[in-house]
Amino acid sequence: MATLLDLERTGAVSRIDPELNPRIQELRLIYTSPGVQQWIEQVLPTLESTWKVEESPIEQLTALIEIFCAGDTLSFGWQFNPLRPHRNGVWELKTADLRMFGWFSAKDCFVVAAADMADRIKDHGLYAGYVGQVVRFRDGLDLDEPKFISGDDPHAVVSDFSYP
Amino acid sequence: MPSFRISVTPSRRAAARFISSVRRAIQKALVEEEKKRGLKQTDIARAIGVHRSVINRELKGRKDITLGRVAELAWAMGRVPIFDLPIEQANVGSNWRRADIAGTQISIVSGKRIRTSTSTAAG
Repeated sequence: MATLLDLERTGAVSRIDPELNPRIQELRLIYTSPGVQQWIEQVLPTLESTWKVEESPIEQLTALIEIFCAGDTLSFGWQFNPLRPHRNGVWELKTADLRMFGWFSAKDCFVVAAADMADRIKDHGLYAGYVGQVVRFRDGLDLDEPKFISGDDPHAVVSDFSYP
Repeated sequence: MPSFRISVTPSRRAAARFISSVRRAIQKALVEEEKKRGLKQTDIARAIGVHRSVINRELKGRKDITLGRVAELAWAMGRVPIFDLPIEQANVGSNWRRADIAGTQISIVSGKRIRTSTSTAAG
């Protein structure tokens, strides 16, 4: 059995460096599977916004990661919620164009195991498939138990979620 | 294995973070006004003469938001947008480079005023 740090050393997961301003402390962490890292490095830079907005999908991700890792309030209301629960302790972190699926190994520590464009997921009904992909990846990791925070309470998985 | 970075130029990173911070400040103000006096997106849309779906898309990042619209939204919420460009300040002993500057901030002050400002960093 291993901790997430042990798994990072072996390359089973990788941590995203949020490149925060030097005055901002990294209060939340984001790790990715090797597949998601490859997608972020090779596929994401080529993708364009479905909504044709100024921020490309990779730029949207950069902004969301800053908010997440800096420990900013994650949600100001139900209508502006970037975090959504699924079954089996799987959560979805989203931007206008992107959906990232993963789990919280500890409070404020998110591991992404699947990611894609929102329109592709909706058009092809891929939500269940990606939730399953996350669960299979998590099951295959030699991670200390409990491997994830169960339930669908956002206050249990992130600090400063805000809205009740 | 070391951590990895997302490949975005510093200037675009700054732009994305600034746009995000402005949008979040408006979201926060709207939620505050909704709690305080029941203000809805529909009310704001009516006040500035657009369909509610336009406001919704802009607030959710599905439509670009112009500077003019920022001012209109602030006005409809009874708030004042304030934009600042403070000079960068160097930190003695910091190894932070100009090219690394990426952060921007926006915050709401005094409950009625929206303050935007670029972050400061060492030269």
